[in-house]
Amino acid sequence: MLYRLDLYRRLIGVQMRSQLQYRTAFLLDTLTTASQVVTAFLTLALILQRFDNVGGWKLPEVAFLYGMVEMAFGSMDMLFSGFDPDNFSLQVQRGLLDQLMLRPVDITLQVLGSEFIVRRIGRIAQGAAVFALGLALLPIQWTPLKLVYLPVVFASLVCFFGGLFIIGATITFWTVESIEAVNIFTYGGTEMMAYPMSIYPDWMRRFFTYIVPAIFLNYYPALYILGKPDPLGLPAFAPFLAPVAGFSVLLVAALFWQFGLRHYQSTGT
Amino acid sequence: MTPIIRVTNLRKYFRVSLRAKGLVGTVRGLFTGDYRLVRAVDGISFEVQPGELVGYLGPNGAGKSTTLKMLTGLLVPTSGELHVNGRVPWRERKAYVAHIGAVFGNRSTLWWDLPVVDSLELLQYIYRVPPAAFRRNLDEFRELLELDAFLDTPVRSLSLGQRMRADLCAALLHNPDLVFLDEPTIGLDVVAKERIRQFILHVNREHGTTVLLTTHDLSDVEKLCERVMIIDHGQLLYDGTLSGLRERFGGKRELVVDFAEDYADVSVDGVEVAGREGPRVVYRFGREDMSASQLISALSERFRIEDLSVREPDIEDTVRRIYEERLLE
Ligand SMILES: Nc1ncnc2c1ncn2[C@@H]1O[C@H](COP(=O)(O)OP(=O)(O)OP(=O)(O)O)[C@@H](O)[C@H]1O
Ligand SMILES: [Mg+2]
Repeated sequence: MLYRLDLYRRLIGVQMRSQLQYRTAFLLDTLTTASQVVTAFLTLALILQRFDNVGGWKLPEVAFLYGMVEMAFGSMDMLFSGFDPDNFSLQVQRGLLDQLMLRPVDITLQVLGSEFIVRRIGRIAQGAAVFALGLALLPIQWTPLKLVYLPVVFASLVCFFGGLFIIGATITFWTVESIEAVNIFTYGGTEMMAYPMSIYPDWMRRFFTYIVPAIFLNYYPALYILGKPDPLGLPAFAPFLAPVAGFSVLLVAALFWQFGLRHYQSTGT
Repeated sequence: MTPIIRVTNLRKYFRVSLRAKGLVGTVRGLFTGDYRLVRAVDGISFEVQPGELVGYLGPNGAGKSTTLKMLTGLLVPTSGELHVNGRVPWRERKAYVAHIGAVFGNRSTLWWDLPVVDSLELLQYIYRVPPAAFRRNLDEFRELLELDAFLDTPVRSLSLGQRMRADLCAALLHNPDLVFLDEPTIGLDVVAKERIRQFILHVNREHGTTVLLTTHDLSDVEKLCERVMIIDHGQLLYDGTLSGLRERFGGKRELVVDFAEDYADVSVDGVEVAGREGPRVVYRFGREDMSASQLISALSERFRIEDLSVREPDIEDTVRRIYEERLLE
């Protein structure tokens, strides 16, 4: 276990060093990503000003949710860059998996260590800024439980998004090329989760409750922390399902990934 | 001696879908039976003893790389048995690959953005090579492969020949029991090829490393391999020594004779006169027809000879004929 951690640290260290070599490009990239997030949020803020609220959520409340989801996605995108479906399918076509399979260490660990995109820090920072703005404007009644639960929700979101990336990457074993459908799934999913789920049509909300349990990772924990009533009438423990939902998605993803690897070993594509 | 590689009736069939790529094509492909079966490796058996240096030859698409991928644990065979170095490669991947090395000529195993030396150090950690052994091997290989000039250069900026040398070094740093080299000299100039051949020979002789290599360059084989295997259409056509191959399929030899005078009639029974240019005559004769010494004594009885030489048919011609005429079937 220690060996694995150390190996991971080394693989990541290598990535960081080579990315930081090009300092200007790195800074520009980071700024671009960051400004995209800000623009998106400003657009939302303008819309909110006209309509006062989104599905009963005021601007600072949306900022809280939006900031949290953005931070979590950004962190995931940095940690799980190796599984980014677009990049992954390209790397596989270039023989990445063959290369990793020839080394006497875990393949999953190596894929995780094969890419670590430091400039995602921009997205995380902007998410954090929006989140802080929300916190500052909101009269949240903090309790010890809420304080402990917030990082748990964050970690669960990271697991959840990581699971989506892994599933997306695994699909490309069969499709060879990365496909837009996978991107709609991962990036579209995030976008959607950054807003209160109550604004979406019923069928969609049901899908994100019972099939992909996204609603337990953003909407319900936010309701709980912000002290808002539940308009959807799920049981009172619904806000606390975040770790269960996040972990099970990651677990399903891991199993699918193992299945994909076996498929790869028998087809070579 | 127990063989280090034992392959029994090995097969690898690929299903190639006839559908379009992309999501729709893939999903449809899962349900319809629209595919073509490619028999990349179709029932191959052989054994390799420790310390052998074997050439694995065959025309494009013969199934060489597919065999090597199974031997290195990258692919699971469709059927047949595979025991290498006491293990079943695909079943015990991690334990198995710790003791082998592999270079797939068209791809690098090194980190693209890292200086060569950093890559090598990372591999030292991954293969858990003791520092002393690492230093010793690196020093040795550095000299043999002349790596010093580009040890600090990132892999992406290396020339093809430099990259191949770095890759060879990386594949052997952990003292593997055997190495698989898939076209290790592809695309290299004569000097680079020669250096790599010397290196392979050195590792085989001095470290006792078993080597199985594929190549399209027959001078690789002539300089390195005692034993060759020839495959085509996934089947083993020949397994034996290079000289045996030459003897069986060598075609005709040529004797070039410089006579002292311009004789009018230089013909010999059963031997073809392939060319004549003044006093120089070229005879062509098959192995079955007569030996070189018989022909020479027959000539020297009748004529005065100044000089002579025997030309063996070259191996390249031999193998080309085997591929083209499918002589071994
Ligand atoms: N992953 C795969 N999926 C489908 N078909 C494949 C796959 N890999 C190889 N093949 C097919 O199997 C056959 C053997 O290929 P292989 O790469 O083993 O040949 P080779 O002897 O290495 O040829 P070359 O000298 O050109 O490298 C070819 O017809 C090839 O198209
Ligand atoms: Mg090949």
